Amino acid sequence: MSVTHDEVRKIARLAELDVSEDALPVLAEQMSRILEYVAQIDAVPASEAVKPFVPGPDAVRFRADEVKPAPLAFGPDQLAPAFRDGFFVVPKLGQFEDAEA
Amino acid sequence: MTDSSDALASARAVADRIVKAKRLNACLTPIKELRKALVAQAPAAHPSGVLYGMPVAVKDNICTLEFTTGCGSKILEGYRSPYDATAVAKLKVAGALVAGKTNCDEFGMGSSTEHSAYGRSLHPFDKTRVPGGSSGGSAALVAAGAVPAALGSETGGSVRQPASLCGVVGIKPTYGRVSRYGLVAFGSSLDQIGVLGRSVHDAARVLSVISGRDPKDATCEDRDPLRLPTVPESLQGFVIGIPKEYFASDLDPAVRRACDRAIRLFKEQGAALRDVSLPHTAYAVATYYIIAPAEASSNLARYDGARYGPRFNGAVDVRALYRTTRGEGFGAEVRRRVLVGTYVLSSGYYDAYYRKAQQMRALIAQDFRNAFDRGVDLLFTPTTPTPAFKAGEKLNDPVAMYLSDIFTVTANLAGLPAISIPIGRIKGLPIGGQFIGQAFLEDEMLEAAYALERVVPATEEA
Repeated sequence: MSVTHDEVRKIARLAELDVSEDALPVLAEQMSRILEYVAQIDAVPASEAVKPFVPGPDAVRFRADEVKPAPLAFGPDQLAPAFRDGFFVVPKLGQFEDAEA
Repeated sequence: MTDSSDALASARAVADRIVKAKRLNACLTPIKELRKALVAQAPAAHPSGVLYGMPVAVKDNICTLEFTTGCGSKILEGYRSPYDATAVAKLKVAGALVAGKTNCDEFGMGSSTEHSAYGRSLHPFDKTRVPGGSSGGSAALVAAGAVPAALGSETGGSVRQPASLCGVVGIKPTYGRVSRYGLVAFGSSLDQIGVLGRSVHDAARVLSVISGRDPKDATCEDRDPLRLPTVPESLQGFVIGIPKEYFASDLDPAVRRACDRAIRLFKEQGAALRDVSLPHTAYAVATYYIIAPAEASSNLARYDGARYGPRFNGAVDVRALYRTTRGEGFGAEVRRRVLVGTYVLSSGYYDAYYRKAQQMRALIAQDFRNAFDRGVDLLFTPTTPTPAFKAGEKLNDPVAMYLSDIFTVTANLAGLPAISIPIGRIKGLPIGGQFIGQAFLEDEMLEAAYALERVVPATEEA
């Protein structure tokens, strides 16, 4: 199993991860070795009848759907970098010249 | 310990012991902050709690109100959780003192604690070696005598492997025994909070407190907390299975000697021994390194600079923000696993890798059921293939690093409880033996561990 530089670039895009061009050769080589190692499971015939194993309770338990205050130990004013008049203060993502005028 | 002045004295003594162990880089909490927090907690601790005044350090991927929860990662540097993990909240109710955050591989991904953004932890017996991982800071701190117990977390052996390498006890409970609420997710179908302790009793006491139902975690079983068993007189009535796949011909001879000595002691204690086979063991590491990275790639999607993580200035659009945040914020091993996880889940590869690995996981779990159905109560194996290895030895060879989990990942894949106990030394370095128990029969597993601990010469050469 050999992973190409292009494949690493493509997977990095899917994973929303910046990967520098310098890091590509090492990543491609290490990913190839990992994928080659894990591919050994192909040696075991597993029929479609084998159901996936999921640990934990057989059924997901649900809590009552009630509106409650968020159980936070600190208020948002203590958590946020900037909080004013009940609002989170965030940097502007864009500006419109017309609106500024 | 009877009153708050005793608890205060204990809190100060703990801080002093952690300062002494500072060279290990096992505790990430600045000492001034730690002293302040311990002194604040001591008078508030409830004297009727079963762990009153007991200091318990907590791995950096388990949320605490007092301290930051950085997961050993640059991307969460300085992150302060607005709530306590359920396990931590239960410790507090029991009167324990939260004794700082311990170093770990980033997000629990690693077997040496070398993949921490805050520098590697040192082995308490030999600073050139690793304490194991990912809960290496917790193991080193307990082994150094700074705290009697610490919380760790397991996805593929991250409590038992460092426990084995540092010569302490490490328990991984059944999946669903302990709430995962407040444990930062890595591989959700595998993750469990576990305990490291200087003795079986210390670790078991903490496990008993943190176990039990939690409405905040749907994967936590609706069960009462674990009841501690009494220390048995012998192992009479126990049937202990010895799986041949864990004692292959290439097993380190010294590890084999240590295990053989423990097995002789089982016989002397009255246990019946039975050879068993778990035929799919050879594929466990491969199965694990498909499922765990796949789940990690999904769980770690939230670290994007918008929901969690620092924003890097200069991003031209929101996707560039995500990519630079994640590219800059994640370390090498996390990046590798996110990429492998994305690859095995991507179109065209899903069936060949992920679906097949899920089937393998079912076969591995079935192997255990078959062994237990034949009347075996517990399985005994080595915990790790070698004692502590040199720092840097496996850092650039991910597959070699992954193989240090070869004896531990099976219990995670099958969701079973397991415990590592020190069973001897190899050239002065500790090595552990492991019991794997049946789901939710931790009490039986602990009984056997008590019996072994009492007779095994854990500090003698194997």
